[in-house]
Amino acid sequence: MQGSNGAVERVLRYLEAVKNDNPNINAIVDIDEAGVLDAAASVDKQTSSDRAGSLAGTVFTIKSNINVKGLRASCASETLKNYVAGYDATVISRLRDAGALIIGTANMDEFACGSSGETSCFGPTKNPAAPDRVPGGSSSGSVASVAAGFCDASLGSDTGGSIRNPASHCGVAAIKPTYGCVSRYGLIDLAMSLDQIGPIAKDTVTLAEVLGVIAGHDPRDATSIKNGGASSYSKNLNDDLSGLKVGVAQEFEPLTDPKIMDVINKKIELLEELGAEIKGVTLPHLGNALPTYYLTMFVEFFSATRKFDGRRYGKRIEAVCGREVLRRIEIGRYISQKEFSGRYYKKALQFRSLIKKELLNALKDVDVIVGPTVPKLPHRTGETIDDPLTMYAYDVLTVPANLAGIPAGVTPAGKVDGVPVGLQIQGKPLGEQTILNAMHALESANGGRR
Amino acid sequence: MKTIIGFEIHEQIATKTKLYCDSPTDYRDAAPNTNVCEVCTGMPGSKPHPVNQEAIDAAVEIALMLDCEIVKDPIYIQRKHYDYPDLPSGYQRTSLPIGKNGSLGGIGIWEVHLEEDPGKYEPKSGKVDYNRSGVPLVEIVTAPDITNPEDGRRFLRELVKVLQYTGKVKTEGGTMRTDTNISLEGGARVEIKNINSVKGAYKALKFEITRQKNLRKRGHAVKRETRAFVEAQMITKAMRTKEEADDYRYIPDPDIPPLLITDSKIAEIKSKMPETPQMKEKRFASEYGIKLGDANVLASELELANAFEKVAKEVEADHAARWIVRDLKRVLEYNSLTFKGSSITTEQLVELFNMIKSHEITVKTGQKVIEMLAERPHSPRKIVEELGLGKIKEDHVVEEAVKDALAENQKAVDDYTRGNPGALNYVVGQVMRKTKGRADPSTVLKMLKEQIK
Ligand SMILES: [Zn+2]
Repeated sequence: MQGSNGAVERVLRYLEAVKNDNPNINAIVDIDEAGVLDAAASVDKQTSSDRAGSLAGTVFTIKSNINVKGLRASCASETLKNYVAGYDATVISRLRDAGALIIGTANMDEFACGSSGETSCFGPTKNPAAPDRVPGGSSSGSVASVAAGFCDASLGSDTGGSIRNPASHCGVAAIKPTYGCVSRYGLIDLAMSLDQIGPIAKDTVTLAEVLGVIAGHDPRDATSIKNGGASSYSKNLNDDLSGLKVGVAQEFEPLTDPKIMDVINKKIELLEELGAEIKGVTLPHLGNALPTYYLTMFVEFFSATRKFDGRRYGKRIEAVCGREVLRRIEIGRYISQKEFSGRYYKKALQFRSLIKKELLNALKDVDVIVGPTVPKLPHRTGETIDDPLTMYAYDVLTVPANLAGIPAGVTPAGKVDGVPVGLQIQGKPLGEQTILNAMHALESANGGRR
Repeated sequence: MKTIIGFEIHEQIATKTKLYCDSPTDYRDAAPNTNVCEVCTGMPGSKPHPVNQEAIDAAVEIALMLDCEIVKDPIYIQRKHYDYPDLPSGYQRTSLPIGKNGSLGGIGIWEVHLEEDPGKYEPKSGKVDYNRSGVPLVEIVTAPDITNPEDGRRFLRELVKVLQYTGKVKTEGGTMRTDTNISLEGGARVEIKNINSVKGAYKALKFEITRQKNLRKRGHAVKRETRAFVEAQMITKAMRTKEEADDYRYIPDPDIPPLLITDSKIAEIKSKMPETPQMKEKRFASEYGIKLGDANVLASELELANAFEKVAKEVEADHAARWIVRDLKRVLEYNSLTFKGSSITTEQLVELFNMIKSHEITVKTGQKVIEMLAERPHSPRKIVEELGLGKIKEDHVVEEAVKDALAENQKAVDDYTRGNPGALNYVVGQVMRKTKGRADPSTVLKMLKEQIK
C-alpha cells in the first residue's frame, strides 16, 4: 500500500488471480470490478493525503447473505437470485469507512444451510487447499476466496459452524465472535438467535484488524451488546501465553477421527510448551448439542423465511429452493405447530440453557477450551451424502459455541492425508482477545504463517 | 338468556417514530410507501431496532390507568405467523402482557400488551402501503364481564376517555379497532372483527344477539366462528369457522431481547400520570359538592375538567359546573368541538359566569354569549356591549312590554286568576321575547303580578 497507486495495483493483482482461478474454484459469485477499482482509487487518494482508515486497501469478499448496496444478496438461492441489496449491512458500512475494498460476493451453501459448500444455486465451491475435497460450509466461498488468494480477508456468517468448518477444511484463520459483538443488521437470517458475522483471513493479525473494525454496538440491532467489541484487538495481540489456562474436554476424543486428534494433540502440546497450563474439563451435555441446535434452527429458519412468499422478492421459497432448505423449512413448520411447541422448540430452549450453563461453568476454571473443529475430514467432491444426519454430524463440535453465544476461533493445526485440519479455540463471552492471542502465538511459533 | 360479551380493543399509540425503526408514524397524509425503511418493509437482512421506549412507557401508563398489575418478569415479544400481503415479514410482533388483572367501571381487564400495525392492503388494486406498517398499537383485552350492548357501549366510552386522558394515543377518528367475543348462555362463542367505533360495536352487538336468538328459536345451534362487521349495513357476516382457524406458531422473537419493566420506571410513570376520569369524577363530586352526573360530564375531557377547576377557583363551583355542563357543553357539541379544540378560555368563562351571577346580564343573554364565545375570542363584556345585550335598566321599557303582553294574552291571564299559577310563566316568556331576553325575569314577574291585581 506504499505509493499512491498501491490499492489499485493490489486490486488489479487480485482481479487477475480471480480471473484465472475463480472459474475453477467458484468462490466468487459476482465480481464488482468497476466498484472495487473506483474504491481503490479513492483509497489511494486518501493514502497520499494521510487520511487512510485502518483497513485501507484491504481487499474483501463478502458472503452472499450480507447486504452490500448495489450487489446481489442472493443467499445463493433461486429465491433471491435477482435481489439486489438496497442498503449496506452495518458491517459493510464499517468496512467501507475503514477503507476496505469489496471485490465481490462469495458463494455459499443456499441460505447458509449446509456444511459442504455444495448446495449453492451457482454450483459447488472447490477446496483450494485440497482439490479433491469439498471446502466445507456454509461460508464456502468466503473461505475459499481467502485460501485461493483472491482477497486479503472475507466476511462470513456462522450459525452452527459455518465460518469455522470451512476455515478448518481450507486451512485459514477465522473467528466467530460472541453473539451480539458484531451487528447482524443486514445479515439475511438462518437462525436469528445463533447467527453471527465473523472475519476470515490468512493470518491472525489481519483477522484481529478486521474484527476490530466490525465489532461494537449497533443501535439498529436490538441484540447488539453495548460496550461489546474492542477496536484494539490487533494492537493488543500478545504472544505470551504463560499462565493461560487451556481446557481440553474428554468428550472430544471419542467423537473425533484419531488422525485428526493426533494433529490437534500436537498443537495442545505446543500450547503447553508456550507456557499454557492444560486442564481437563468435562462437557457431559455435548451429546445433546446437535439435536438442540437443529431443532432451534429449524423453527427460527421457518419463521425467517416467511417473508419469501413470492410477493416481494423473486420467487416463493418453497417453490424454487433446494432440497436441504426445503427440508429445514418443512421440519420447522411441522415442529412449530401449536400442538408440538412444548415438545420440541421449548425443549430445545431448555436444553440450550443447560448447555450454555455447562460451557460457561467450564470456562470459569479455564480461559479457553481447545480441541478439533470438525470431527472428520471433508468428504470427496462428487461423493453424495444422502443421509442428512451424516451431514449434520460435521457440526457436533462447532454448534455448542453458537448455543452458548461464546466466541470461537480456528487456526490451522496441520494436515491429515493432505487435507488441512483446524484447531478450535473457544473462549469466554467477549474473550476474543484471549483467543486471538493464542492463535497468534501458535502462528508465530510456526514461523509466521501455518 | 344471559349474554356474555368481551372486547379486544386496539388503539394506536401516538409516537413520532414506529415501534422498531425510525420511520415516521404518519400514514394518513403521506404518499404511499414514503414513511418506510428496510425494517418496516421487512427487507431481507433488516432487523428490528430496540423497542421504542416511548411506546413501552405509554403501554405501561395505560395499563396503570386501567388498574393493572405491571408484569415484572421479562416480557417477550412474540412472532405471530400468518400469511397476508399487508405483513412484510410473514409475522406480526406482539408482546406478552405488560399489565394484567385490571378493571374499568366494574369490567375486568385481562391484559394490556403492545403490537405493531401491519401495512394497508387494497385487494382491488393488489397494492400494499407500508406507511402504517410498524406503527405501535396497544391492545386491551377485557374479561367477558359485559352482559348487554348498552353496558358494552358505556364501557367503550369510558375506555376512550381513559385513553384520551393519557394523551398517549392517536386522537384522530377511526384508529380504534375492536374485536368482540359474544355468546348467549350455553351457546358457542362468536368473534366479530372489523369494528371501528363505539357506535359500530353497539350496533354489531345488537345485531349479533338478535341473530343468535333467532337461530336458537328456529332450533339451530350457533356455530363457533369469526364474523366480520359490515358497517355500511350494520350487520355481521361469516368470515371463517374456528376449525379452519390459523395456527400462528408463536415463538419469542429471537431478534428482540425481552422487555424488563423496573419498579423505578413504574414509579416514574405513576408520578407523571393524570388522575383517571373515574377518580376525577368522584373527587369533583365530593370536593366541589356537585352532582355526580355533572361531575361525569366535566370529567369527560381532561382539558374541560382542568378548565372547570380553574374557573371554580374564582366562581362559585356549583354555578360554574351548572353553566359548563348545561350550556358550554351544548355549544361544544353543536359545533362538534372538544374544549381543547375550541378557542374558549377560562378567563372568558370566569368573566361571563360572574356577569350572570351578579345579574349584570340575564340567563338568556348568558346563553347567547356562550354561543358566541365559540366564534369570537373577545371578552364577554365586550360582546355584550357591542351587541347591546345588557340588561334593560329603564323600567318603563319593561313596563311597556308587560302591558303589551297582558293585552295580547288575556286567556293566560284568566287562567292565572282562576288559580293556575303556571299560566303566568307563559306571559313572562312573552315579555322576555319582546325584550329579546334582556329584561330581568324576576322584575317582569313582579310587574305582572302588580298589573293583574
Ligand atoms: Zn421503518
